[in-house]
Amino acid sequence: MINGISINMYMVLSAILFIIGAVGVMARRNSIIIFMCIELMLNAVNLLLVSFSTLHNDAKGQVFVFFVMAVAAAEVAVGLAILSMVYRNVKSIDTNLMSNLKN
Amino acid sequence: MLSLFIVSGLGVLAMLAEIFKFKKYVFPIVLGGLIGALGALYMEWQTPKSYALFDNMIVFDKMALAFSGVIIVTAFFWFIFANDYFEEESNVVDHTALVLFALTGALMLTAFKNMTTLFLGVEIMSIPLYVLAASKKRYLASNEAGFKYLIMGSFASGFLLFGIALIYGATGSFDIAEIRQYLTDNAGTVPSFFIAGVVMMLVAMLFKVSAAPFHFWAPDVYQGAPTVITALMSTIVKTAAFIAILKLFMIGFSGAATVWSGVLAAVIALSLIIANFTAAVQSNVKRMLAYSSISHAAFMLMVVLANVRSNASVSGILYYSLAYSIGSIAAFTVFYNVSRNGNETVEGFNGLAKRNPLLAACMTVAMLSLAGIPVTSGFFAKYFVFTTLIGTEYKWLLILAVLTSAVGVYYYFKIIIAMYFKNAETTEPVFFETSNKLVVIITTLITLIIGFIPDVITGLFVY
Amino acid sequence: MVKLVGLVPLFPLIGFLINGFFGKKLSKGLSGTIASVAVLASFVVSLLLFFDAQHLPGHKAEVSLFGWISADTLDIPFEFLIDPLSSWFLLIITGIGFLIHVYSTGYMHDDEGFQRFFTYLNLFVFFMLLLVLGNNYLIMFVGWEGVGLCSYLLIGFWFKNTDYNNAAKKAFIINRIGDLGFLLGIILIFISFGSITYGQVFEKAGIVNESVITTIALLLFIGAMGKSAQIPLYTWLPDAMAGPTPVSALIHAATMVTAGIYMIVRSNVFYSISEVAAEVVAIVGVATALFAATIGLLQNDIKKILAYSTVSQLGLMFLGLGVGAYSSSVFHVTTHAFFKALLFLGAGSVIHAMGGEQDIRKMGGLKGKIKVTFITMFIGTIAISGIPPFSGFFSKDEILAHVYEHSPVLWFFGMVTSMLTAFYMFRMLYVTFWGTFRGTHEQAHHLHESPSSMTIPLIVLAALSVIGGALGLPEFWGMPNWMHHHLDPILYRKSVSMLSHETEWMLMGLAVVAAAAIIFFAHQLFVKNRVLPEANEAKLKPWQKLIANKYYVDEFYTAIIQKPLDMIALAFHKFFEIQLIDGIVNGVGNSVKGIGSVIRLVQNGNIGMYIISMVLGIILIFLTLFIL
Repeated sequence: MINGISINMYMVLSAILFIIGAVGVMARRNSIIIFMCIELMLNAVNLLLVSFSTLHNDAKGQVFVFFVMAVAAAEVAVGLAILSMVYRNVKSIDTNLMSNLKN
Repeated sequence: MLSLFIVSGLGVLAMLAEIFKFKKYVFPIVLGGLIGALGALYMEWQTPKSYALFDNMIVFDKMALAFSGVIIVTAFFWFIFANDYFEEESNVVDHTALVLFALTGALMLTAFKNMTTLFLGVEIMSIPLYVLAASKKRYLASNEAGFKYLIMGSFASGFLLFGIALIYGATGSFDIAEIRQYLTDNAGTVPSFFIAGVVMMLVAMLFKVSAAPFHFWAPDVYQGAPTVITALMSTIVKTAAFIAILKLFMIGFSGAATVWSGVLAAVIALSLIIANFTAAVQSNVKRMLAYSSISHAAFMLMVVLANVRSNASVSGILYYSLAYSIGSIAAFTVFYNVSRNGNETVEGFNGLAKRNPLLAACMTVAMLSLAGIPVTSGFFAKYFVFTTLIGTEYKWLLILAVLTSAVGVYYYFKIIIAMYFKNAETTEPVFFETSNKLVVIITTLITLIIGFIPDVITGLFVY
Repeated sequence: MVKLVGLVPLFPLIGFLINGFFGKKLSKGLSGTIASVAVLASFVVSLLLFFDAQHLPGHKAEVSLFGWISADTLDIPFEFLIDPLSSWFLLIITGIGFLIHVYSTGYMHDDEGFQRFFTYLNLFVFFMLLLVLGNNYLIMFVGWEGVGLCSYLLIGFWFKNTDYNNAAKKAFIINRIGDLGFLLGIILIFISFGSITYGQVFEKAGIVNESVITTIALLLFIGAMGKSAQIPLYTWLPDAMAGPTPVSALIHAATMVTAGIYMIVRSNVFYSISEVAAEVVAIVGVATALFAATIGLLQNDIKKILAYSTVSQLGLMFLGLGVGAYSSSVFHVTTHAFFKALLFLGAGSVIHAMGGEQDIRKMGGLKGKIKVTFITMFIGTIAISGIPPFSGFFSKDEILAHVYEHSPVLWFFGMVTSMLTAFYMFRMLYVTFWGTFRGTHEQAHHLHESPSSMTIPLIVLAALSVIGGALGLPEFWGMPNWMHHHLDPILYRKSVSMLSHETEWMLMGLAVVAAAAIIFFAHQLFVKNRVLPEANEAKLKPWQKLIANKYYVDEFYTAIIQKPLDMIALAFHKFFEIQLIDGIVNGVGNSVKGIGSVIRLVQNGNIGMYIISMVLGIILIFLTLFIL
């Protein structure tokens, strides 16, 4: 129980957010939106970590969130750099265009 | 422990080289540093204690030191082999630094004792690789490889994190030893979200070692990335990710084996079948080696599946990772030089036995080793894995493994046949840098020596 | 001191590596010197070890070099064993090996494969030393296979000749049959004793079921039959003479072919316990000895005569082993190594002088032309014929005395063998060196003594053939039998002669008189009456024809093994291979490719598709874990 709300509710919420993110990654073709969906998945994790941290009355979970945020930022930075490079080559950010390596 | 600092310090130093203008010296400094790191490992090996860092988040025990040794030795050969890749590209310094950071992550993965350091290790290793895979800026294939790797890697990281969060929720700790304790205390009463967490972490880690059905990224990325980076990914990165799985599941989640062992068995079976069958129809050698690495990952995972913490299993897997890494480095070095003209297919090897007899012989040894033919180290590697599995209920996997290895022999021999029985248009020797020749010869010798005397490695330590 | 044992095989290995990798860049002189010095260095170390080993506690030392193979119950260290037996064999291998290396620098001088020859020769010495030094059956097996490989390479050394290649293949294949028996024996040893280290195995030999011991002993003997050319696996050795003559001397006379004897002496525990196995060894030995000796009577190729003589002498050694006279057999191995190496090298010198001619019918009257060769070969012939006080007399007599004690019938056959030996050896000598020269005019002009690099080894070996008997003087003469005492520590059951001195004197006298009579007879026949071996086969009497054609054993093997196999193979080829096997293999191959090309379609390059299949995998896992 955190502020009168069962921990299960927090878990369900972050699971829903996570699934929305995952479905977004699967369904969308626009690379920028895929990045955003991945961010959403990571933030779902952050929410879960923070709520467990509060539940256990333990600061480690919240510290972990900082690591996650830092890593997510790094991932997105690298991602955008690669994306801009791709854009220079194909003038598009549609993932469907990036399926030359196969079989 | 010192080696971790040395390698990350080298990375920082390499970045400074651009500013302070000692770019030319980066390469010797890195090689020297790696030798220093190896020396540090040796010193720490000699003392009986373990080295703990950051409140036990990283602990260098014997096992961590041994696997760090495998990684650093492989990295040493890799740097010698890859030096002209660095020369070709303009951003030498950045690439060197990125590789060193990836190496830092790999070393962290050998020594983590906490899910925080596991996560950081995985990310520190992966993020530089996303960049390196895409490092041939003007080639669409390279861009695509980097991009695919990044998207799928981040997606898998999401699962890893969600798993960590759920496990943290159940146990209230990130510490591997505490989770192990939690499992023994609460055997049979663990909440289902803990199990969900274990499965999600398993999936994410299986993604990192590219086991089927989470392997899809590997062939594409391996093919698109620059060859030297492919070599890095299929040796060091794979070894490190594998050790992470080994430690996480054989130590941390050993008590929940009923949950994950069935899944793992299915994954191994699927990997063996998909990897070997698909490899047999590949004509691009890089892609073929990618599938071969999937099959090797499946072999290594068998030790995790056996879930027996014994001297035989741990030293067996140490032997396997060394044999596989060294054999792959030799194969990639030869392939890199042969494919300089842009021909990455098996035909590129045609007539190599006449053009460069010694290197063709070395390549043959490497192929035999990867195929697991006796006298080479690959044979004993497989043998040790099989012996760990033989006492378990998964004997059927052994039969599958032997059958699919037979398919494996087919595609490894395709290269040998091309080298010895097919003719190229020219008999001009393929140009090899002296350093590359040395790498090939030394790695081949190691393959043969540890194949002839497996005890050099297996007798190293008592787990 | 014993720690230095690792150096013994190391030197030839280094020689092999140098010649193997840089041979083409070395001059012939340097290459030959390196190879010879490597073996000489081994010899010096072996000599030191030999004397040092006398003072060891228990006369033996186990030197562990490194852990080799250890996995669960299988723990095989790479260990060497120095004991009276191995240290003695070391001396034979490196000593005679060195002389033959020196000889080869002269003999092979004009061959374009000079460096390759020494590469193989050094490799051979390396493996042979490994075979003898190992402290367990696996190292012996590694050496065993290694010498087989080198033998194959050296028989087929002149690989452009198809016949030579076929001879090499024949040697290899027949040896594989023996090796299979040996390997099965090793496996059985491991199963019954839980170890393959000599010491541990022999300790427990007394408590293991005797029928198991018999099986092991027989399996090991099958290995020995292959390597040491005993009936029925002997046919490869005469053909092996296709190799250069120094190879015949080193590998196919002095060392490799005695590996089977070494193995049985090493495992004497088994043969002492199992009387059945010992009896089999004795009978196969005597049969081979007699059989090969009769074939030797009518051979005309100088090397073939020596080859059959080798088979026959090896049979004699096995006869000795079978009756428990282990030290006598090792003694005969030693003296045989001296005089047979001498005879082969002498034959090589003759062939050298004759410009490659090997048929004795085309020689004759050579004794004045090539004096050193003649004198040394004469000594060798006397030694092998058993005339005192030459070395062969003592060793052969010792074996025969033991055989007589065991069974007079076997002794009789042994005696006949040694008489036949004296006859065909003197026949070879008389026909080659007496009479008139029957070669071409060109050959007569060409005749010359070999260079000193070839004659010096001949002289040294001749000296050894003369005095070698001192190693094992008969005890009933009141003299110390050194060999007997030397090998005593490694024998499970000591052999003590029960014969009265009178009997021994009588046996010895009989042997000498018989040999002298035979030699006289040969002299009358070939020198006085100048009878020449019949050149036209049609004029041979039927029994001569039978012998001259080696009893048609090769044809027999061809008829009963090869032909039916060919026929079955053809049938299999037509019905099974083409229709069934090819069908299956191609089917498997095609289905692998088929499955592969289906699976690869999943890999369609689309990231969305990849992620969906990944998620599907996860969903499947969750479904099986939580719902099913």
